[in-house]
Amino acid sequence: MPYAPALSVAPARPRMSRPEQQRWIAGVCAGLAEHLGLPLPWVRAGMVLLAISGPGLIGYVLLWALTPQQEGAEPIDPALPETAETARLGSHLSTRSLIGIGLAVAALGILFGLTKSIGPRLGLLLPVLAIGVVLVLGLTSADAAQRDRWLGRRSGWPSLARLAAGALAVAIGAIVLLSRGESVGAASDIAVATLVVLLGLLLLVTPLAVRLWSDHGAAQSARARADERADIAAHLHDSVLQTLALIQRQAGDPARVATLARVQERELRSYLYGGDVDAETSLEAAIGAVTDELEMAHGIPIDVVVTGEAEMDERVHALVRALREALTNAVRHGATPVALYVEAGPAGIEAFVRDHGAGLDLEAIPEDRLGVRESIMGRMSRAGGSATVRRLDPGTEWTLNLPTPTTGGKA
Amino acid sequence: MTTNPTPTPPVRVVIVDDHKMFRTGVKAELTEVARGRLDIVGEAPDVDAAIKIVKATQPDVVLLDVHLPGGNGRGGVDVLHGCVAQESLAGQPIRFLALSVSDAADDVIAVIRAGARGYVTKSITGTDLATAIRRVADGDAVFSPRLAGFVLDAFGASAGEIAEVDEELDRLSQREREVMRLIARGYQYKEVAKELFISIKTVETHVSSVLRKLQLSSRHELTTWAMGRKLV
Repeated sequence: MPYAPALSVAPARPRMSRPEQQRWIAGVCAGLAEHLGLPLPWVRAGMVLLAISGPGLIGYVLLWALTPQQEGAEPIDPALPETAETARLGSHLSTRSLIGIGLAVAALGILFGLTKSIGPRLGLLLPVLAIGVVLVLGLTSADAAQRDRWLGRRSGWPSLARLAAGALAVAIGAIVLLSRGESVGAASDIAVATLVVLLGLLLLVTPLAVRLWSDHGAAQSARARADERADIAAHLHDSVLQTLALIQRQAGDPARVATLARVQERELRSYLYGGDVDAETSLEAAIGAVTDELEMAHGIPIDVVVTGEAEMDERVHALVRALREALTNAVRHGATPVALYVEAGPAGIEAFVRDHGAGLDLEAIPEDRLGVRESIMGRMSRAGGSATVRRLDPGTEWTLNLPTPTTGGKA
Repeated sequence: MTTNPTPTPPVRVVIVDDHKMFRTGVKAELTEVARGRLDIVGEAPDVDAAIKIVKATQPDVVLLDVHLPGGNGRGGVDVLHGCVAQESLAGQPIRFLALSVSDAADDVIAVIRAGARGYVTKSITGTDLATAIRRVADGDAVFSPRLAGFVLDAFGASAGEIAEVDEELDRLSQREREVMRLIARGYQYKEVAKELFISIKTVETHVSSVLRKLQLSSRHELTTWAMGRKLV
């Protein structure tokens, strides 16, 4: 056995690994040639000779299973960096080729075993090889990166199919191995025995699988955290960084810069503290949507304070629309600061819009001007509420009141 | 206080904020709007430096950012705990005015319960900030509209809960509720006073009384937050 020393690796030589580039099957010969410092064709020729005579095949499979892939080999998944574990267990050859080779060997074994046209040595060897390959397949599957692919997001049917194929190959291999030279009747007995053994194996493997599964749970929560971080980074990139870039470009326009900053602040605030409230169902969110829009359009900040919470219904929608008109008036004709206070309680909803402008004289407004009379007062009275406006020194304050309907009995 | 013939000495202020840009900005703004009435005697970027400089300079008012590095990781609250029973040069307790970009209720409750006399957001104008500092230095409380709204919510006042007697810690009195509502509506103290036909001093008394309730109340909504922050 000229290659026996290769298995007990001499320390001075380069650590044996299977290169990516020059491989024919799994890179064993290429790795061996590099490791032993022999020309690659010689090694290949020797390996082929040995394989034909029998034991070389086993040696090849063993080397394949025990030799790690060369460093810098293609990562299985760019999202999953190689871990120490994967490097140690090594041999992450593509699953597809493993299955393919395993099945091919198994098929050969069946063929030879059934026809009995070959010598007893190969008839024994091939089924053993089939089982060996499937075990190697199982081993590689146990390394961390593979395991994630097994059980992870993209698992589902491919991993199940692989398990099934592996079990089938082992079963067929074992049956063929044991039923060599026996009758069909004896073969069925052996099939039953094989199934029992497989069942036993399953029982043995189950605890391991459970542990792998719980490992996977931890890995998944870690991934969830990483995803969340990525989400936050993406959000900051889309919002804050973009706004900062805009601000730098428009540094000469203070009003524009202030607006940008204000809008961004509001957006970030709702992202950080807002939670997922829907403008369709939450009064506070609906008001937030309105004030955001107005700030964006007019560039004037609105100080919003909302206490209590109310369910949105048709009447509350009417209140929000009336509020929108009152706020529009405030930001267009009034002066800063513009303040909005909304109090939702059991008795109803009260809203106050305050600006610090010159003041609005209701008497001076023509009867037919739509804005104020119709869109604020009319809307409120149709919804069963009221709207009043008064002059302060300085400024104007709208008071919108929407009492809870007595018939509704809503709290 | 305005009729005092001898001019009041400037309020000595320390600014604590981890953003140098913000400290510089506030300093410039305060110097501009309140020259001679405010004297910035020191600044600090983190909890430990803040405690050190407060003890060294003994200011009247500390402008305190809620979120700060250092200490036990609880920011402004740690500074407040580290400066317990410190007195200003004038022999008054040192007052803290919290300043934050955050609207989160637990941030507000944390610094107030740790002893801050007021809470304003960083978007406040220089003039308003100067007024707030003056007010805090005089021992009054300063509530932003948002803090007032929060108080109304936390004490159930917006849901109609009103204290039977003023001393009750867990609910606001009718008058306190009115004052808080007006502050939430964006009214200045003097506007509140005019609206309710009371003096500014009375408004300040009501606000201080609300602050006391905020600090001492064991109301469920308050204590939940406080306990989450290990304050009680």
